[in-house]
Amino acid sequence: MRRPKKPCPITEAGIRHVDYKDDRLLARFITDYGKILPSRLSGVDARHQRQLAKSVKRARYLALLPYVKGQTA
Amino acid sequence: MAKLKHRRNPARRYEAVYIFDSTLEDTAIAEKIEKHQTLLQLAEPATIEHWGRRQLAYKIGRHEAGYYVISQFTTLPATLPEFERALKLDEGVVRYLVTLYEHELGAPKLSDEELAARRRASDDDDDDEE
Repeated sequence: MRRPKKPCPITEAGIRHVDYKDDRLLARFITDYGKILPSRLSGVDARHQRQLAKSVKRARYLALLPYVKGQTA
Repeated sequence: MAKLKHRRNPARRYEAVYIFDSTLEDTAIAEKIEKHQTLLQLAEPATIEHWGRRQLAYKIGRHEAGYYVISQFTTLPATLPEFERALKLDEGVVRYLVTLYEHELGAPKLSDEELAARRRASDDDDDDEE
């Protein structure tokens, strides 16, 4: 029994290229601890998942996103 | 195809993000940007967008906030090493990132209003993830 495929949320939003500066968008695709959400959970298609992974890493470097969320000190 | 284009015209479009020390004066920051960009020998002036001061997601050394500036420009790759060296030596620059500007590969860049609209939209449709 295969579940029907989820539509890709990034394609649905009309985004061709994921921007590493759009931290509000990227924040939707990370876990509570700040890890990149696997596409099997988010339904993001492969092309956008690759862009997303790279963008999240760039955003982390620029301190737009945390490397580890919910950490004190 | 990119390779062919590269051979004919070696200049590439880049995007640089600077994070300046947030304690610097706005005029000092503008001066620094000006100074660094001259190293790039730009044919046409770079587009510069000031995000201004914002909280960093984590502390970088003693800094908890930074002044963000985004700039796009077209230059020869050979000018970049000297440019990056100057940025590294500048104490007022907390961090910087130079990337190839890739928007032309996809849809045109979203305008500020569109970006704002999308942010609003993404706020209220957060219920679709499970």
